[in-house]
Amino acid sequence: MLLEMQGVSVSYGKVSAITDVSIKVPEKGVVTIIGANGAGKSTTLRAISGLARARTGEIRFDGERIDRLPPDRIVARGVVHVPEGRRIFPEMTVEENLHTGAFLRRGAPDVATDLEKVYARFPRLLERRHQLAKTMSGGEQQMLAIGRALMAKPRLLLMDEPSMGLAPVIVEEIGRIVEEISAEGVPVVLVEQNAELALELADYAYVLETGRVSLEGPAPELHGNEHVRAAYLGV
Amino acid sequence: MTELLAQTGLNALYAASYISLVAVGLVLIFGVMGVVNFAHGELFMAGAYAIVALYADIGVPFLAAVAAGLVFVGGLGLLMERALFRPLRDNPLGGLVASIGFLMILQALAVMGFGVRMEHIPPPTQDVIVLSEKVRLPVSRLVVIVSAVLLLSALWYFLKRTRFGWALRASAQDPEAAALQGISINQTARIAMFIGAALAGVAGALTAPLVSVNPHMGHSVIVTAFIVIIVGGVGSLEGAVVASVLYAFVHTIVTTFYDGVVADIVGLSLLLGVLVVRPTGLFGTADRA
Ligand SMILES: Nc1ncnc2c1ncn2[C@@H]1O[C@H](COP(=O)(O)OP(=O)(O)O)[C@@H](O)[C@H]1O
Ligand SMILES: [Mg+2]
Repeated sequence: MLLEMQGVSVSYGKVSAITDVSIKVPEKGVVTIIGANGAGKSTTLRAISGLARARTGEIRFDGERIDRLPPDRIVARGVVHVPEGRRIFPEMTVEENLHTGAFLRRGAPDVATDLEKVYARFPRLLERRHQLAKTMSGGEQQMLAIGRALMAKPRLLLMDEPSMGLAPVIVEEIGRIVEEISAEGVPVVLVEQNAELALELADYAYVLETGRVSLEGPAPELHGNEHVRAAYLGV
Repeated sequence: MTELLAQTGLNALYAASYISLVAVGLVLIFGVMGVVNFAHGELFMAGAYAIVALYADIGVPFLAAVAAGLVFVGGLGLLMERALFRPLRDNPLGGLVASIGFLMILQALAVMGFGVRMEHIPPPTQDVIVLSEKVRLPVSRLVVIVSAVLLLSALWYFLKRTRFGWALRASAQDPEAAALQGISINQTARIAMFIGAALAGVAGALTAPLVSVNPHMGHSVIVTAFIVIIVGGVGSLEGAVVASVLYAFVHTIVTTFYDGVVADIVGLSLLLGVLVVRPTGLFGTADRA
C-alpha cells in the first residue's frame, strides 16, 4: 500500500470532524471518497496533507509516518493536494502559479519539460499564461489547480471536489483528466459529492457518513449497492 | 517660483524615499504574516543607533556602517519572528501586543545604552549639488534617494522574478494553498521579517545624520503603519508595495507644501476613500481566511 490511514480522528476545537477513519490507497488506480456535505471528506484529505492534525491514529506513506510532519515536508515526499475550491493564487499569472507548484524542485532541468507537458494537456493555460489567474473562468481555474499540482511531480494526488460548480462538459473533461493521470501511473484519491462521476472513475470507494466510514468496497460493487443508490445516486 | 517648487519637490522626494522603505517593510510583514508590527518605528530607530555606535562613535566608514545596520536590524527582525510571532501565529492580536512589548524593550535599551539626549551626527559629506542658485541637493540626501530606489527595485525584482519572491507572494495571497505547494510558512515568515526589518533599519541608518536621533524617534511611524496597511490591502504583495510608496509620496508632498497635520488629514481621507470604493484595499482581493 502506498498510503495507509489507520484509525484517524480529527476535531476542530470540540467539534469532531472525522472519527476512526481507515483508508488504504494502492500503488495505482483511483480511490474515491464519497459522502454528503459535511461528512468529513475534506478533513480526511487535510489530515493526509498535514493541514489538519490527526488526534488519534496514524498515517503512513510508503511505510513511513507522515502524520506529524508539516504540510511542506509532506509535499516534499510527493503527496500533492488539489484543495477544495481550487485555491489558485489570484494575483499571480497562470505561469507563476504553475512555477509555484514546482517550488520544491528548484531549477531541476525537467521542470521546463513538465511545464510544456502541462501546457500540452491544458492548451487554455498556454493561451493565458501571462494572464492573472483571477481573471479565468471556474473551469480554467480548476485546470490550473490540477496543472499546478502536476508541476510538483506527485507520487500521490489528492483531489477535493474537482467538479464542484462546473458545467457538465467541463466535468466530463475533468473526469478524462483524472483517468489520464491515473493511467500515467500516479494514483489518485478523489473526493466527490458527485457520486455518479466518482464511482465511474474509481477502482475502490469509501462512503463517509457523519465522520465515519460507513461502507467500502470496489467501486462497481458500491455502484450497485441499495443504500448507495438511494442516498447518493438518486435512483 | 519654479525654483521654490523644484526645491520643495526635492525635499519631498528625499522624505518619501525613506518613508517608503519603512512603509514597504510594514506591508511586507503584514502581507505575509498577518501581523501589524507595532515595533516597526523602533526598528527604524535601531538602524539610526547603529550609525551612532559604529560611524559616529568608532569611526566605521558611513556606508559600511549602513550595511552593518541593515544586517543588525534584519537580525532583530529574525529574532522577533522566532521569539514572538511564530509562537503566536494563530493569535494575531497576541502578535500585535507582543510587538508593542518589543517596542518598549528596544526603547528602554536605547535609553540605557545612549541616554535620552538627541544625537547629532556629522554627515559623511558636506557636499551640495548646486542645480541653480536656489535649488540645491545635499549629497547626503541624494544618497538616501538613490539607496531607496536601488533597494525598492531589488525588492521588486525579488518578488517578481525569484523563487522565494513567488513563495512570499503566494503566502500573502493564500497561506494554506502556499503550504500545499511545499512552501514552508516558517521560511516565508523569516524572509518577510528579515527584509521588512532590514528596510526599516536601512532607512534609519541612512537618515541618521540628517535628523536628530533619539530613543523615541520611531513614534510617528505607527500612524503611517495603519494607513499603508489599510490602503495597501491584503492579497497582492506588489500592490501593497506600490500603494505604500504612493502613500509615502502623497503624504510627504502635502507635508512639504502645507504641513504635517494637513498631510495626516489627506492621508486619512485617502484611506476612507479607498475603503469606500475598494473595501479590500487599493490592490487587495482575497479576504484573509
Ligand atoms: N475549520 C473548521 N472549523 C470547525 N468545524 C469545521 C471546520 N471545517 C470543517 N468543519 C466541520 O467538520 C465536519 C466535516 O467537514 P468537511 O471535512 O469539510 O466535510 P466535507 O468535505 O465532507 O463536506 C463538518 O461538520 C464541518 O462543519
Ligand atoms: Mg469538502
